[in-house]
Amino acid sequence: MSTYDVELTDIVKEFESGGAIVRAVDHVSVQIADGEFFALLGPSGCGKTTTLRLIAGFEQPTAGHILIRGRAMEGIPAYHRPVNTVFQDYALFPHLTVAQNIMFGLQMEGVNKKDARKRAEEALEMVRLPGVGKRKPHQLSGGQQQRVALARALVKQPAVLLLDEPLGALDLKLRKNMQYELKALQRDVGITFIYVTHDQEEAITMADRIAVMNEGKMLQVGRPEEIYERPGRRFVADFIGETNFIPATLLGRDAGGQGRVQLPTGDVITALLSDALEAASGAVTLALRPERIGISAQLGSDDAEDSDITILDAILVDSQYIGTDTRYTLRIAEDTDLVARVQNVDGGDKAALETGQAVKISWRLSSTTVLDH
Amino acid sequence: MSRNRFLRRLGMVGLWLNPVFSYFFLWAPILVLVLFSFNQSRSVASFTGFTFKWYGNILNNMMGAESAFSTELMLNAFRNSLFVGSIATAIATVLGTMIALSMARGTYPGKRLLDALLFFPVVIPEITQAISLAIFFKVVFDWFALMSGERIFPGFHTIIAAHVTFNISYVAIVVRARLADMNPQLEEAANDLGANPWQTFWRVTFPLILPGVISGALLAFTLSLDDFVITFFTSGVGTTTLPVFVYGLLKLTVTPEVNAISTIMMVLSTLFIGISLAIQGRAVPRA
Repeated sequence: MSTYDVELTDIVKEFESGGAIVRAVDHVSVQIADGEFFALLGPSGCGKTTTLRLIAGFEQPTAGHILIRGRAMEGIPAYHRPVNTVFQDYALFPHLTVAQNIMFGLQMEGVNKKDARKRAEEALEMVRLPGVGKRKPHQLSGGQQQRVALARALVKQPAVLLLDEPLGALDLKLRKNMQYELKALQRDVGITFIYVTHDQEEAITMADRIAVMNEGKMLQVGRPEEIYERPGRRFVADFIGETNFIPATLLGRDAGGQGRVQLPTGDVITALLSDALEAASGAVTLALRPERIGISAQLGSDDAEDSDITILDAILVDSQYIGTDTRYTLRIAEDTDLVARVQNVDGGDKAALETGQAVKISWRLSSTTVLDH
Repeated sequence: MSRNRFLRRLGMVGLWLNPVFSYFFLWAPILVLVLFSFNQSRSVASFTGFTFKWYGNILNNMMGAESAFSTELMLNAFRNSLFVGSIATAIATVLGTMIALSMARGTYPGKRLLDALLFFPVVIPEITQAISLAIFFKVVFDWFALMSGERIFPGFHTIIAAHVTFNISYVAIVVRARLADMNPQLEEAANDLGANPWQTFWRVTFPLILPGVISGALLAFTLSLDDFVITFFTSGVGTTTLPVFVYGLLKLTVTPEVNAISTIMMVLSTLFIGISLAIQGRAVPRA
């Protein structure tokens, strides 16, 4: 008996398009635990929606195996799978009332009309939309339709709920509210959620684990902080948040996952190597988050003592006030600019730094990641 | 300057006269027909007074009363028309809807060719289809007679088969337009909620395309009721439909009952087409 709710093993999905074979999903393997909020994150066309549709049973994999609750899904049609989907455009039945929409799935199971009606009413209360059962879907706002779609899927009490960019059509403020609500709802019902999104912030705030996909491949799977702090590949670091990529040369690997790299400035520093790093030496990329770079006119005396801290000289090329933060563009070498983001504090020393000024910049060892070039 | 203005005014008058004449030639003959269906005199030469007599005759006959032999024949033809129209419409609506579904949802080789061929009855001259059907029936019946020794004669079955042939296209085209407006994810949603393909069709797809199906059926019924050319070439003895009967009458005299029944036919057709267009015009409700 499997301890996972959903297991994908070496899934390949190919489509024929204009005579050419397009591989939408390329050897994807992943295990999703019971009760987990799992996000499939990637740009459009990365294969995340196709992966979801394979689990739902709308598409059949070209190769590979899908297990749901330990049961092989080969040859099992969508209407016999213990999963339900919340569609991107909700796909509510326009000819049925809201209550009839929610009762639809129950009646397919053979639940009698009276019980189905009662459970539909409860489901509407669960998504905080009581009393709209008699209305038609088009009489509701986008956010309300979204909740109905959620109620319609959850009332079936599926093993896994599949959500295909469910908040994509909502405006920003509503989307933020729904993110919290969805997360709270998922905790309450304890159902495994597989959540497709192209919005990295959404994935980071909601998911227990994130799988970053690109061009059909699952590049990295991990907790949000792992994905953010320890990206395994350049694409992942680039897609999630903002990152400085500094071209560097790997001189050698040390113990404890560290290595010595030479920067374009000529300085040799110690940095953390990504687990996924393949290169043993030579050209690599040093990834560094803008908010992890410290910047000051003078060097603090205790910083210089700390061997975990790298300190470099830089010229302040540009600074940009963006509300909560200020973005500094710093030149450490010819052709090598870094972006640093410093939070604006009340009465801060923003005025103290001027464009063209020589400054010291610093970062901690733990903020660095060395990736393949 | 004044010459320019004169030309412009002339153009305005011309543009204004254009619809006046267009509508006059379109509607005047029909109005004359409707008017004379209420004419007291049997003659079409002059209007001598207003009466519902001819409509009364038709109604009486329908109710089972004795009436003139010519009226009897005409109403028999009218009944034939309704019979052929109903059966042909029923068959064409089922088949046409199935074709539309297969065109919209299926994937198979040659789909685009079949799609193009579907428009054939709409674009080819009616007389071509009429003659080809007449020849086709003769060839098939000759062959059947040769094989079994029994001869089949043209009758209702040939007219109905012929009407089904052209009606299928119209139904399929109307239903497919409706299907094109339907969000295909609705069927996936039904599947996802546990409905098998059969349940999905009857509970989701069919209710949503029903207006298209009704609209297609009304169109088919109207076309069937009005058809002359194809019916003329495929009918047998005793299966005369109303348009064919009226054509035969022209060789004799036009009775006022013909005017009355034509008016009734026109009102019926206009009604059906009107309903059909009204249903088609109603947008698919979007969630």
